[in-house]
Amino acid sequence: MTDPAPDPSTEPVLRPGPRGLKALVGRLVLAGLPLVFAVSRAIRPILKLPALPFGQKKPPQFIITRYDDVREVFQTDTAFGVPYKAKLDVIMGGEPVFVGMADTPLYRGDLARLREIVRGDDLAALALQSSAQAEHIVAGASGQLEVVDALVRRVTFDVLGAYIGIPHPPGGNLPVWCTRLFEFVFMPSDAQLIADVDRMAPAMRAHIDSELARRRSGGIEGDDLVARALRKQASGEPGWTDAWIRTALMGLIVGGPPQPPMVLPQALEQLLRRAKPLRDAQTAAKRADDALLLRILFEAMRFDPIAPMIPRTAIADWTLAAGTDRARAIPAGSTVMAAIQSAMVDTRRIPDPGTFDLMRLPHEYFLFGHGLHQCFGEHINRAMFPALMRPLLARSNLRRAPGKAGHLAKQGFFPSALTVLFDTAGQDNKPG
Amino acid sequence: MRQTTSSIALEVKPDSEALLLSLIARLDRPDAATQPAMTKTDLLARMPSLHFFSLTVFPRGVFDPLFVIEANFDGPAGPFWPQLEAALGPQLRPMIACCKRPADGCGPLYDAVTAPGSRRDLAPYLQTRAGKPSVYHHGNRGMSRQRVVNEAALFSAVEAELDAAGQVAQTWRILPPADIHARLREKLLPQFAWLAQPAPARKTLGEKLGDWVRLAVLVLAVLVVLTLPGQIAAGLVETDRLVIAFVLLTAIVWGSLLRIAGPLEGTATHGRTNLLNFAWRQIFKILIALAVFFAVAMLVVTPTTVAISHLSWREAVIPSARALGWGIAAMVVIVLPALVLWLRWLERRDSTQDAPTIDEAVMRLMREREDHTPINHMAAMIPLKPGILRTVLVHVGHRGLHLALRVFIKDGYLASMRTIHFAHWAFVNNGARMMFLSNYDLSWETYFDDFIEKAHEGLTLAFGSGEGFPPTRLLIQDGASHGTLFKAWARHSMTVSRYWLAAYTDITSDQIERNFRIAAGLRQPTLTPESAAQWIVDL
Repeated sequence: MTDPAPDPSTEPVLRPGPRGLKALVGRLVLAGLPLVFAVSRAIRPILKLPALPFGQKKPPQFIITRYDDVREVFQTDTAFGVPYKAKLDVIMGGEPVFVGMADTPLYRGDLARLREIVRGDDLAALALQSSAQAEHIVAGASGQLEVVDALVRRVTFDVLGAYIGIPHPPGGNLPVWCTRLFEFVFMPSDAQLIADVDRMAPAMRAHIDSELARRRSGGIEGDDLVARALRKQASGEPGWTDAWIRTALMGLIVGGPPQPPMVLPQALEQLLRRAKPLRDAQTAAKRADDALLLRILFEAMRFDPIAPMIPRTAIADWTLAAGTDRARAIPAGSTVMAAIQSAMVDTRRIPDPGTFDLMRLPHEYFLFGHGLHQCFGEHINRAMFPALMRPLLARSNLRRAPGKAGHLAKQGFFPSALTVLFDTAGQDNKPG
Repeated sequence: MRQTTSSIALEVKPDSEALLLSLIARLDRPDAATQPAMTKTDLLARMPSLHFFSLTVFPRGVFDPLFVIEANFDGPAGPFWPQLEAALGPQLRPMIACCKRPADGCGPLYDAVTAPGSRRDLAPYLQTRAGKPSVYHHGNRGMSRQRVVNEAALFSAVEAELDAAGQVAQTWRILPPADIHARLREKLLPQFAWLAQPAPARKTLGEKLGDWVRLAVLVLAVLVVLTLPGQIAAGLVETDRLVIAFVLLTAIVWGSLLRIAGPLEGTATHGRTNLLNFAWRQIFKILIALAVFFAVAMLVVTPTTVAISHLSWREAVIPSARALGWGIAAMVVIVLPALVLWLRWLERRDSTQDAPTIDEAVMRLMREREDHTPINHMAAMIPLKPGILRTVLVHVGHRGLHLALRVFIKDGYLASMRTIHFAHWAFVNNGARMMFLSNYDLSWETYFDDFIEKAHEGLTLAFGSGEGFPPTRLLIQDGASHGTLFKAWARHSMTVSRYWLAAYTDITSDQIERNFRIAAGLRQPTLTPESAAQWIVDL
C-alpha cells in the first residue's frame, strides 16, 4: 500500500535530504572531493573504482580527473554516450528527446527544429524580465532575502515558464514537478523519488497536452514557445506533431529551470567567501555591467559547479588518453564519470586555478558540459544569470545573515537555502 | 611573470610539403567559403598570453622538410597549448597530418589527433612534441604581454599629456622634475588605475636563485670532469714521476698549441679576443673560482678518501688536497690547453663555405616579409660539425651560455645591444642540426651588423659549430668577424618565416624598457628630486 499523494500546493520543491550520519558522510565526501581529485590527478588520473560490494559483477566505473581526459570523454561521443535515455523514456512516455540521443540525424533534426523556436533574439527580453522581477523581489525584501527559493527559483520558473508557455498546472506545482523529474533523470533515484515520478511525469505530459489543445482551440495567440510551435504545426511543416512538441517543451522545462537555483546560490556562496570578487561583483552590478558580472559568476561557479562529475556510458571499447603513459582501456558498458570540478582546477592546463581570475578563457570552463551535449540552454543562462543576480548584488552592504541561515544549506545535491542581508537605505545604488 | 619559449619541430612527409605550405599560406588569406575569417586580432584575443608565434618550413636537403611551430608566451607551457588549440586548432590539425608519424612512443597520439574526423585535442600532442631550447634569451624578461601593452598605452598617454600641455602653455618646461612627476601621476591615475598598485616582480627570488644554482651546478660538474685526469694520476703515480710527466705534457701541449694557434693564411680578422687572452684578462676571477672550487671539492673528496682507504679524517686531508691540487693544476695547465689544442687542430681542417648559395626566390620571399614593422622574425637552420669534441662543446657551451644569459643579463642588453625580444636555439634532427629563431628589432642587416660589430665573439661561440661557418680560431676568434661572409652564410642558413604572429609589432625592446621605467616612476606617489631628475630623462 502506497502513501497517498501529498497536497501539490504545499508540497516542498526539494525532498528532505539525508539526516544524521548519512548526511554527515555526504557532507564529508563532498568536502573531501577536491583533495581526492587532486590525488587522483597526480597519481591515477583515470581511476577505476572497485565494484562494491566486492565481488559483485557490475560494469566497471571510472573517474576521469585530468582536463585533457575530461575533454576527450566529452568530445568522443562516438564512444561515450549520455546515460539518460532509460530515465527520459520514463518521464517522456517513451518519446525520444535530444538530451538522451547519440549524434544521429534524428538528434540533429530535433535540435535544428528546436532552434527554430528558441531564438537568439529572445535573450534580451529574457534578461529584461529576469532583472525586472528580481528587482521587484529584492526591493520588497526589506533588507533580508532567502536567495535559493524566494529569488532564483521563483524568477527562473516564472520567466522561463512564461517564455516556454507552460503555466502552473491546476492543482500542481511546476517547480516541484520539474525539480523532481530533473532529480530523477540526472541523479541517483530511490523508491520514493520513483513513486513521485510515476505520479508527476504522466501528469506533466497531460498538462502540456491539455495546454496545447487549449491554445490551439483559442486561435494560437502570443509569442511563447508553445505558440511558435503550434504555428509551425499549423503551417504544415513536417515533424511538428503534438507528441514532438510536448516532448521537446517538457525537455526544456525539466532540464532548464531547475538548474539556476542550484548554480547561482552556489556562486553567491563562493562570492561571499571572497571579499574582492564580491566587491567586484557589486561594482559590476551597480554599473549594470552584465558582461563583467557574468564573468564573475562563471568564475565563482568554477569553484562549485552544478555537479562535481558528469556521467557518460562507454558505448564502445575505447582507449582513453591513447599515446600517453596514462592510457587506459575503457570497455564498452563502463560508466565514466567526467570530473568537471577537477578538470577546471587542473594545473596542467588551467593557470593558477586557485586564483579568482576574471580573464579566464572559454575553454577553461566546463560549466555547461562540453561537446555534443553541451547545455542547450547555455545562451539563455548567459543572458539570465547576470540579469537575475544584478538587483541583489547592487544592494549596498550585501552580507550573510547571522548564523546558519547565512551559509548555503543543501538538501541532497540541491541548495536549499541561503539568506543574505543588505542595506535598504542603499537602494539608491540599484541599477537604472 | 615567467615567460616560456618553446618550439615544436616535426618532420614533414616529403610528398605533403606543398600541401603544408598552402595550408600555412591560407592562414593569412583564409578562404571565406570554407573558413570563418579569423583576423590576427581575433587570434591574439584567444591567446592572451602569447607574445610571438611563427610557423616555418625548413626545406628539404640532407633531411626531409621540417615544420617548426615557435611560440613565446607568458606562464608555463601547459595552459598555453589549449589556448593555441582554441585559436588555431582546426588549421593546425591538417598541418600536423602533413608530418610524419613519430617513430617513438608518441605514434599512437599522432594517430589519434590525425585520424580522419578526429576530435582528440591537439594540446597533448603539441606538448609531447615541444622541444626545450638549448639557449633562449628574453630581451624584456619578466614583462608579461599585458604589462607591455598597458605600459605602452601609458607612454602614449604621457606623450599626449605633455604635447597637449606644451601647446597650451610652456608650464611643464619650467617645473622641477618632481612636480612634473606629481602632476602627470595625478592626471593619469584615473585612466591607469593600476599605477596605484605595486608593480609585480619581473623575476622572483626563486627564479634568480634557481638560475644561480643551475649555473653553479654546471660549472661544478665541468670542473669535476676536467680535474679528474689530474686527480686520478695523483692517486696512481708518485710525486716525483708526476712532476716529470706534468712538465713533459705541459711542454708538449703548449708547444703544439702555440705552434698552431695562429691564423691560417688569409683567415685572420680584426678581432683580437681569443680564449687565451680572454682567460688572462679574467685571471683573478678564475683564481678565486678555483679557490672556491678547491674548498667545496675538499668537502667531497676528503670523505671519499676516508671511505675508500683506511685513513682517518685527519690523515685523509693531505692526500685529498694533493689529489685535488694536482687535478686543478693539470686542468689549468694541461687538460684545458689539450682540449683547445684538439679544437684548434679541428678548426684548421674545417671546411668553410666561401660562397654560400642563396636561392633568389627564397630571398625574395624573405625580403617581402621583412621590415613591415620595427620588429622582424628570422628562422635559420644550421647543420652541426661532426665529432665528439664539437658535440660536447656545443651542448655544454649552449647550456653554459643559456645559464649565463639568465644569470648575468639583467637589463636585456647583449653586449651593448638590446634588440632581441625572444630568441632561441634548439637542437633538432636528433642533434644533427641546430635551429635559431629570433624576434628582433630593426632590419635584418642592422641587427646582424650590430652583433658583428659588438658581439662577434659571442656569435662565433654560438654559431661556430655550424657546418660551413667562416673560419674560426680558438672557439671565439675570427668566425663572425668575417662580416660579409658571415652574413652570406647566415642568409644561406635562413628560410622564409611562413607565418608570423606578434602581439605587438611597434614596441621595440628598448621602448619596452623605457616604458617600464616611466611606469615604475609613475607608480611611486612621490619621487625625490634626484630620482625625479633621473626618471624624467626617459620623457
